[in-house]
Amino acid sequence: MQPRVTAILVARNGAKHLERTLRALSLQTRQPDIVITVDCGSSDATAKMLADFGPTQFIASDADLNFGQAITAAVRVTTPPTHDRELLWLLAQDSAPEPNALEILVDALEIAPSVAVAGPKVMEWIAGEYIHNFGESMTPSGATVTLVESELDQGQHDGLSDVLAVSAGGMLVRHTVWEQLGGFDPALSVVDDSLDFCVRVRLAGHRVSVVPAARVASAGDGVAGPNQSSRGRLRRRRVRAERSAQLHRRLVYAPAGALVFHWLSLLPLAFLRSIGQLLRKEPGAIVGEFSAAFGAAFNGMRVGNARRAFAKTRTLGWDAISTLRVPSAEVRRRHSLKREASLFGLHGERPEIRFFSGGGAWTMLAAAVVGIIMMVPLLGADTLTGGGVLPLSPSLPELWASVGYGWRDLGLGFVGAADPFGAVVAVLGSIAFWSPSFALVLVYALAFPLAAVGAWMGASRLTDRGSLRALVAVLWVLAPTFLIALADGRPAAILVHLLLPWLFFAWFAAARTWSASASAALLFAAVVACAPSLAPALLVVWALSVAVAGRRVMRFIGIPLPALALALPLIADQGLRGSWLDLIADPGLPVPSAHAPSLQLLLGLPGSDGWAGVLDRFGVVGLDPQLFVPILLAPFAVLALLALLLPGARLAGGAWLVALLGFGTALAANQLVLAAIGAEPVRVWTGAGLSLYWLGLVGALVIGLRSLHRFASTPGVVAALALTVVVLPLLASLHLGTAAVRKGTGQTQPAFVAAEAQIDPRVGTLQLVPQADGGLLATIERGIGATLNQQSTLDSTDQTVSAREKALAELAGNLASRSGLETSADLAEFGIRFIVLQPAETSVDAADTALRTETALDGNAALAPVGDTEFGRLWQFGETDAAASTPIPARAGGVFGLVTLLIVLAVVGSAVLLSLPIGAGREAVRQANRDAIRRAARADARQKPKRVRRSKVVSDLDADLDVPLGTDLEADLAIDRKSGVGTGLESTDGSTDDVAAEPAESGAVETAGAEPRSANPAAAEPVEDDNAR
Amino acid sequence: MPDRRQLARIGGRAGRGVLGLVGIAVVVATLGAAALVTLPSIERDPQSSEIEPLPSEQQRVCPGPVMTLAEDSTQAQAASSVGAASAVYGAVDALALEQIRPQVTEISAVDDSNSRQPPLLLTVPVEDGASLPPLVAGSQSQVAATDTIGGLAVAACAEAVSDSWIVGGSTDIGRTSLLLLSNPTTVLATVDVTVSGESGLVDAPGATGILVQPGEQRVISLAGLAPNLKSPVLHVQSRGGQVAASLEQSSIRGIEPGGVEIIGTTATPATNQIIAGVRVMAAVTEETVTTGEGFNADTPSIRVFVPGSVAATVQIGVTSADGTAEGTSSQVEVEPGIATEIPLAPLAVGSFSVQLRSDEPIVAAARTATDSAGGKDFGWFSASAPLEGSFAVAVADGPSPTLHLVNSRAADALLTLTPSNGTSVELRVSAGASATVPLSSGAVYVVSGGAQLWALVDYSGDGVLSSFALNPPGPLASSIQVYTH
Repeated sequence: MQPRVTAILVARNGAKHLERTLRALSLQTRQPDIVITVDCGSSDATAKMLADFGPTQFIASDADLNFGQAITAAVRVTTPPTHDRELLWLLAQDSAPEPNALEILVDALEIAPSVAVAGPKVMEWIAGEYIHNFGESMTPSGATVTLVESELDQGQHDGLSDVLAVSAGGMLVRHTVWEQLGGFDPALSVVDDSLDFCVRVRLAGHRVSVVPAARVASAGDGVAGPNQSSRGRLRRRRVRAERSAQLHRRLVYAPAGALVFHWLSLLPLAFLRSIGQLLRKEPGAIVGEFSAAFGAAFNGMRVGNARRAFAKTRTLGWDAISTLRVPSAEVRRRHSLKREASLFGLHGERPEIRFFSGGGAWTMLAAAVVGIIMMVPLLGADTLTGGGVLPLSPSLPELWASVGYGWRDLGLGFVGAADPFGAVVAVLGSIAFWSPSFALVLVYALAFPLAAVGAWMGASRLTDRGSLRALVAVLWVLAPTFLIALADGRPAAILVHLLLPWLFFAWFAAARTWSASASAALLFAAVVACAPSLAPALLVVWALSVAVAGRRVMRFIGIPLPALALALPLIADQGLRGSWLDLIADPGLPVPSAHAPSLQLLLGLPGSDGWAGVLDRFGVVGLDPQLFVPILLAPFAVLALLALLLPGARLAGGAWLVALLGFGTALAANQLVLAAIGAEPVRVWTGAGLSLYWLGLVGALVIGLRSLHRFASTPGVVAALALTVVVLPLLASLHLGTAAVRKGTGQTQPAFVAAEAQIDPRVGTLQLVPQADGGLLATIERGIGATLNQQSTLDSTDQTVSAREKALAELAGNLASRSGLETSADLAEFGIRFIVLQPAETSVDAADTALRTETALDGNAALAPVGDTEFGRLWQFGETDAAASTPIPARAGGVFGLVTLLIVLAVVGSAVLLSLPIGAGREAVRQANRDAIRRAARADARQKPKRVRRSKVVSDLDADLDVPLGTDLEADLAIDRKSGVGTGLESTDGSTDDVAAEPAESGAVETAGAEPRSANPAAAEPVEDDNAR
Repeated sequence: MPDRRQLARIGGRAGRGVLGLVGIAVVVATLGAAALVTLPSIERDPQSSEIEPLPSEQQRVCPGPVMTLAEDSTQAQAASSVGAASAVYGAVDALALEQIRPQVTEISAVDDSNSRQPPLLLTVPVEDGASLPPLVAGSQSQVAATDTIGGLAVAACAEAVSDSWIVGGSTDIGRTSLLLLSNPTTVLATVDVTVSGESGLVDAPGATGILVQPGEQRVISLAGLAPNLKSPVLHVQSRGGQVAASLEQSSIRGIEPGGVEIIGTTATPATNQIIAGVRVMAAVTEETVTTGEGFNADTPSIRVFVPGSVAATVQIGVTSADGTAEGTSSQVEVEPGIATEIPLAPLAVGSFSVQLRSDEPIVAAARTATDSAGGKDFGWFSASAPLEGSFAVAVADGPSPTLHLVNSRAADALLTLTPSNGTSVELRVSAGASATVPLSSGAVYVVSGGAQLWALVDYSGDGVLSSFALNPPGPLASSIQVYTH
C-alpha cells in the first residue's frame, strides 16, 4: 500500500506569507493526497486564499485555537488511520517547502519504519541560505535547546539524523502515532509543543529524525513555533511563553515525588530569575516570569491531564533519550560563546568616549591641581566643620538607620520619614566605611576633579572634540554656584553639581540602553534627594522626554520611580501635615541665606561674588563689581545665545529650555522660606537651580562652539578666562577666610561630653543657643551630637510645637531664668546630663540672653559648672540615666516603615541591577543574530543606492524587518560606530543618527575646506534638515 | 533659471535664522522679565513658645551701714562701719496686693572690723500657685555725722545680679570710694570689676577674681584698685553666684566732711538712658561752670561712659519735673572707653528729669551737691530701667522724700499710690512728661496703673542730699522666647 499524506495547513492572518507557501505546496514533486486548510479566524484575505487554493477540506475555526489544536481539529475530519503509512504533514502559513521537500520526508519515513516523526531543515524566509532551526533537544535539566539556528548552511549539519525533537512547522508524522499520543499537549500553545510531542514519541518507543535534504522556509510568524519578531510586546510574549512551557514540562516530566519540590520552587525561582532579567536589561520580561510561574502553579488540571496522558503512552524510561540530550559541557560552551558576543556589544561602545586619548585625564588632573590650590587651608583635615557640614554617624548601621520611615533621633526624637538625602549620605558614608565622616572630606578633596570628569563625560554626548570637552569641564568646575556651595559648606548642593552632568550623560543615552535609563533614574533620585527644589524642573524635562520618546517611552517612563520610592514616606508625612510645599525644603543642616537679587541670580550667583570684600580689603577704589562682573560674563552669554542661530539650534534650544527651567527654579527658591533654625528663617537654596541653569548655558555654549569649527577656540578661551576672573574671589574664599567651611575636630560637642558619650551613647546634652531676637534655641542632642544623616526637613519645616517640645521649652525657659521651678526632675526625664550654652553672636539681644542664661545656670544649685569649652560654656547635671529615660523605641517605623522600605529596596534594587553594564543576555544574543541575518538579507535584496523613506515602500521585506530596537545589544549594534555618539531624545527615524554624527563628520572634513558641504549637497541636505527640525 | 533646490536651501537657512532670532528674543525676554518682575513670596515664621518662668523667691540686699577706712592707721585698707542704717521694707502680693512679711536675715560683713550692724537680706518666698513674683521693696538711710564723714546716704535694697554698672565715686584726694559686694545666693561668686576712668581703662590686677562667699559681703577700697581716679565707672561681673554691688563715696573738704553717698547700680548700656530725677539745690549758670574749678565745684554734672569702641553722639535733654523751670538740651560727642563728665548748665533750683539719647549704648549717672549752713552733701542720681506694671516703693526715713516719675509712653498714666498705712493718692503723669510726688517717710507704697515708668526717690534737706533709683526685678525673671527646632 502506498503511503498516504495528509497535508494540514494552519493560517492566522497570514496573507503576507501565505501566497509563497501555497505556491510552494502546489509545486511539490510529491503532491499530498489530502490537503486540509485551517483558518484560525483571520481578519485579512487568508480565508479567501485558503479556500481558493482548492483544498480537500477547508476549516474555518476560532481565532483562539493554537497550532496543535488546529491540527487536531483538522485530523478530526479525516478518517482514522488504518496503517502506519498514513502520514500527517504539519504546515503553517509561513512554512514554504522546497519542491522536493515532501518527497524526501516521505522517503525518510518509508525507509525507516521505526522513525515516527521526520522534520525538515527549516531555513530563513528571506535569507534562504541561513538555517532558521534544525533539530531541537533538551539540556540534562530540561531546558529547550535548538540544535542549529541562525547559521549559514554549508552542509555542515547534513550528517544529523536522529534528534530528540524537530520543530512543528514542516514536521511529517505518522497518523497512528499522532492518534496514539493524542497530538500536541493543549497546555503548550506555541512553544515547545513539538518538543514535548517528540519526547513523548521517543518515550513511546519511536524515533524522531531530521532530514537535511528536505528544506522548508519559515518566517517565524508565530503560528507554528514562537513568533520571532524583535518588537517589544511580541518578544516579551514569546519569552513568557517559553518560560511557561518550560515550567509546564518540568512539572509534567518530574517524578511524582519531586513534584512538590518543583511546585514550591516556582515562585522563589521567579524572583531569582527576575534579578537575572534585570541584569540582562530585560525588565519587560519580569511580568512574564511571574505570570508563567503563577500559571504553572495554579493550573493543576493541565499538568494533571498531561501527566496522565504521558504516563499512558510511555513505554521507555528517561535513560532512553539521555544520549540525545545536549550535554552540560556543550551547554556551557554555547553560553560562553554568547557571553562573549554580548560583551563585545558592550565594550564596542567604550573606545568612542576616548577618555584618555581625548584629554579627559589631563583635564581631570588640571582640575585636581586647581582644587588642591583652593583647598590648601583644608589640607590634612580628617573632618570638616562649618556651614552645613556635620559629621556622619560613626558606624554604618547607625548611618543606614537614617534611611526610610522610622525613629528620627533628632532633638527629642520622633517617628517620621527620613529625607531621601539620608540615603545619599548613607551611600556616601559607606564609601568611607572606616570613618564615614571622612566621606565629606573626600567630597571636598575630589570635588574639582569629579566635577571636571562629570562635565567632560557629559560633553562627550555633545561633541567629540577634546578641546571643547575640556572647555566644558573648565566652565563647569568654575561655576560660581559650585564654588559658593563649597565655601558655604553645603554638601547637598555640591553633590547636585557633581551629579548633574552625569545625569545628563545617562539621560542622553537613556533611549538607547536600559543601562543608561536605569543609571539616569538613580542619578535623578540622587539629585532630587540632594535638592528637592530641582524636582519640578527635572519633571518637566522628563515629561518632554516621554512625549518625544515614541516607541522608547518605556526607557523614560521609569526615570522618576526611584526618586518617588525614596520620597514616598516623606510625601506621606508632609501630605498628612498638609504642607506639600515643604517637600522642597533643603535637606541636611539648614543654612540660612539672604534673599538674592534676581539680577545676581541671572549671573549664576546664588550669593555674593565676593569682589566687594576683596576690593575693600586691598583698598582698590573705582572698580564697581556690579558693573564689571556682568561685562566679564557677557561673552559666555553671547556664545550661548549664538548657538540658537548656528547649526544644532534645535539642541541648543533644548539646552536653553533646561537653562530657563533652572533659572525659574532658582527664582522660585529665592521666594520660599520654608524651614527655620531657631529664630532664623531658612530660605530654599537657589544654588541648586542655578546649577541646572549653568548646565543649560554650558550646553548651549558648546553646541554653538562646535558649529564654529576651527573658530571655536578663541571665543571659548575668552569666555573661560573671563569666568575665571569673575570667580577669583570665590576660588580664594578659603584663603581669604570668607568661607564658612573649615577644618574640624570631628566633634560637635565638648570633649567632656564626647568622652561621656563613649560610655553612654544616649547621654543627653541640652544645647542652648541665644538667638538674635533675644530668644533661646533649646535642642537636645544625644550621644556624640548632631550628625548630617539625622537631619530632617520634617523637623526644620515643622510649624507646630508639640506637647513635648512645649515641655522642653518650659524647662529651657526656666533654666534660663531665675525661676522657682524644680528643674532636676525635668532634666532627668529628658535624659539631660549636660547643658551647653553657645556663645552669642554679635546681636545685643543675643548677648543679653546669653548673659541671663549663664547667670541663671550658674545660680542653679543642681548644676555643676564644668567650664568654658570651644563649643560654649558647659554645665553638668549628675542624676540622669539617659539610656533608661529616653530609649530608642524598637520598630518605631511599624508596618508602614517596613512596606516603604521594601518598596525602596525593590525599586532602587531593580534600578541598580538594571544599570549594571554587564552586557545583554543570551536571549538577546540569539535575537541579535537573527536580526543581523535578516538585515543582511534585506541589504542584499535592496539594490537601491540612495536612501528612500521606508514609509513609502511597503514591501514584504520592509514590513517584516523593522529596525531592531528591542534590546540593548541590538541598539548597540545599531548605533553609528563612526560617530561614536548615541542619539538621545531624537525620534525613532533612522536618519536622526546624523544629528549626533554631524560634529564628528564635520570635524573630520573641516581640514578639507571652509565649505565642505558644498562639495556634496545631496549628502549635506539631510544633516541640515535634522538640525532644523 | 535658479536651481529650485538651491532656492529651497537658501529659504530654509533664512527660516532657521529667523527662528533662531525668535529663540534669542524669547530667551532674553523670559530672563529679563523674570529678573525684573517682583515675585510673590512664601515665608514661614519660625515657631517658638513664650515661656514665663515660674516665679522664684525674691531677695533684696541692703548695703548696710556706711563704712570708713583707716580708723586704725595700722590697717589703712581695713574698713569699719560707722553707726547704723535704718531700713524700711515691705512686700505685697502682685495680684491681691496683700502685705507679705519678708523674712529678714543678715549678710555677714566679713570685711567690717566693727560689725555692729551687718547688711540685711530680705527674702520673700513665692506663694504656692502664684503666677507673678511678689513686689518687694526696701531702702535704707543713714545720717552720718562723724569727724570724717557727714551727710545723708540712702540706698535701695537691691537684687543680686551677675552684670551691673556703677557710674559714680572718685578716688581723688579727699575722696574715698568703697565697693560693697554682697552675695545673697547659695553659690560662690567670682567677681571681676572693670574700672574705667577719665583716661580710659584702668589696669587693676586686683580687680579680677574677687571671691565672695555665699551670704557674705566684701568691701573693696576702690583706691586700692584705681588710685587718683576722678571719674571711675565700674563694670561688675560675677560668675557662679550673683552679687548686689554698690559704691560708697565720701569726701572731705579741707577738714570738714563733704558728704557721703551710697551709689546704686545704674542701668545697663543702652542707647536711651533716663534719670528720672535730679535735684538741683543751687542754681547754676553758664558762668559758674566755665569760670569755676569745674566739677569739683559741685556743679551738677552727668558722667557718661561708652562701653563700646565707637564714639557716641549723645543728646542730653533736661526737663523740669514740675514745669516751673526751663529745661536745656545739648549734644556732646563722647569718646569710647573714657568716662566723660558733662556739666549741666544753666539750671535753676528744682528737680529735673534727664534723658540721654545716643547712637551707641552708654551708661550714665548725674551728680549734684548742696552746700548750706546745715553742712555739705552730694547726691548721685542713677539712670534706671523702666518699671513695667505695678511696683512697690519703700521710703526710708529721711528729709522730704520725693518720688520722681517719667512716663515715656504716648499715653497718659493714671497712677494710684497706696501707702501701707494711709489713704491712696491718685496721680496723672502725662504722656512723655515727668512728675514728682512727695512721699511720707517710713511707708511702703504700691504704685499701680503704670507701664513703662522710670522712677527715682530723692531726699533733700538742709545740707543733705541723696537718692536711690527704682529698678524692676532683674531680666532673669522676665519671659523668654524659646525655640525647640
